[in-house]
Amino acid sequence: MVKKGVPEWLNSSLWSSPTAASAAVEDTDDNHPLHRHRVSVKSPGTSSRREPSPPPPHPPPPPPPEPVEETTFVESEGPGFSADEISRQAQLLAELLLGYLPKDRGLWASELEKKRSQYAVFKEELLVNPDTEIIEQIDRDVKRTHPDMHFFSGDSPSAKANQESFRRILIIFAKLNPGIRYVQGMNEVLAPLFYVFRNDPDEDNAAAAEADTFFCFVELLSGFRDNFCQQLDNSVVGIRSTITRLSQLLKKHDEELWRHLEVTTKVNPQFYAFRWITLLLTQEFNFADSLHIWDTLLSDPEGPQETLLRVCCAMLVLIRRRLLAGDFTANLKLLQNYPPTNIGHLLYVANKLRAHPAR
Amino acid sequence: MASGDRIDYVFKVVLIGDSAVGKSQILSRFARDEFSLDSKATIGVEFQTRTVLIEHKSVKAQIWDTAGQERYRAVTSAYYRGALGAMLVYDITKRQTFEHIPRWLEELRSHADKNLVIMMIGNKTDLEDDRAVPMEDAKEFAQKEGLFFLETSALQAVNVEMAFLTVLTEIFNIIIKKNLAADSNANNSVPSLEGKKILIPGPAQIIPAKKGMCCT
Repeated sequence: MVKKGVPEWLNSSLWSSPTAASAAVEDTDDNHPLHRHRVSVKSPGTSSRREPSPPPPHPPPPPPPEPVEETTFVESEGPGFSADEISRQAQLLAELLLGYLPKDRGLWASELEKKRSQYAVFKEELLVNPDTEIIEQIDRDVKRTHPDMHFFSGDSPSAKANQESFRRILIIFAKLNPGIRYVQGMNEVLAPLFYVFRNDPDEDNAAAAEADTFFCFVELLSGFRDNFCQQLDNSVVGIRSTITRLSQLLKKHDEELWRHLEVTTKVNPQFYAFRWITLLLTQEFNFADSLHIWDTLLSDPEGPQETLLRVCCAMLVLIRRRLLAGDFTANLKLLQNYPPTNIGHLLYVANKLRAHPAR
Repeated sequence: MASGDRIDYVFKVVLIGDSAVGKSQILSRFARDEFSLDSKATIGVEFQTRTVLIEHKSVKAQIWDTAGQERYRAVTSAYYRGALGAMLVYDITKRQTFEHIPRWLEELRSHADKNLVIMMIGNKTDLEDDRAVPMEDAKEFAQKEGLFFLETSALQAVNVEMAFLTVLTEIFNIIIKKNLAADSNANNSVPSLEGKKILIPGPAQIIPAKKGMCCT
């Protein structure tokens, strides 16, 4: 049964059908739209599986959010992270991802202050003489950013204010980066950053969310901007070459699946991986799960791009049985609508695909 | 969608046009009879299928929805390969999206098959009060360029079905004609290569019903 060249653990049924035998542990609210992608965590003690898989090194997805007391639970209010989680995320963004803050924590306050006043200058200087075509495009997409979440969408004053922040960040970025300007999808990459900063329990930080988000966004894109750049599409650093690296990674780890996808069913990886990679998986999973994946992307010592490719490869491997049984149409539909997945498992598998395992 | 369903033909159709004219909504109306209120920008390409009956043959429409923004053109041009039909969409409330139609047409004609069946669509007729493109202007343009033309509302499900069925039927008729011509060519035993080049559709575009012909 185990195919040559495929590690045994890849064939584990655990990867393919995590829901089948799992007792619903904490996820009692399966109908909740924000949870619809969250797969129940396997309850301890039921794991009498054949394969010797150690438990995932990553914690399972956090329990679903407690309904906020008293206030009615607004279904689209957000992924429901606790203040502590948001706080930790904000730290992670500031510290690990961006490194725009000096290592010496004592200098943070003044550094932040400097950045924030620099951003104020940008706002003053760069928002005049707007390029209408870019602005119209940005406006269209800001309106379409997470329309299911009240944080981003709707007519409430806070949503309006958030949309305005979004708009300014994207316009300023476009002005400062004339080679890239605004590319559709940047709004999706910006959303998690802004959400985390804006919800920082520290009020001063939350108030400066727009400036902090801007600098984070710049830092984040510095690792990924080549994927957004049309002039680089055919270069060794552009999106096509990134997609080719994903394809090679799959070939190396699961040649059977690679062959079935690319040779037998002729599914060009560009047809699905283009979006996976340029949007850093934000459109493949719900918001909470995306943030969970970003935790790993941003904290992995191999860096966000390498880690992203491993996660993408793991996404393919996780559904290998369905893919191996599918034809062109079925496979492309499946890959463009990635099925609900236990993110803990996904990250566990991605970790296994490391070129030089840490342990 | 049962896998045992017999498919006589597969026609690839692409949806193009400026960003936010409603391409994805038109597709989801046709493929799933849905209109999504929280639609996002399409990044790269998306793909849907629907099988329809045309003259007792089952035709699987394989529809590719592409991103509207210029940046994505380089990547999406590969998606035109093998397309037999195109839906060229503008927004009747945004004059500029109509003014960009010639650019899109040029791109189509440089990347796709010459016999491509093209339907120009003015979408969002539910916003009649905001109309910025008179229907007459569009009709005139379509006539001049030899395009089919319809105005649609993906929101209200007006004319979407008709637009796709028109294109699919036209492709179907062209193929039938080609096949007839190919047959008569064969009967006249004129095995001219040039004839074949024009008359025989490529296997990537039309999949005959007989199983085993392809990909097994």
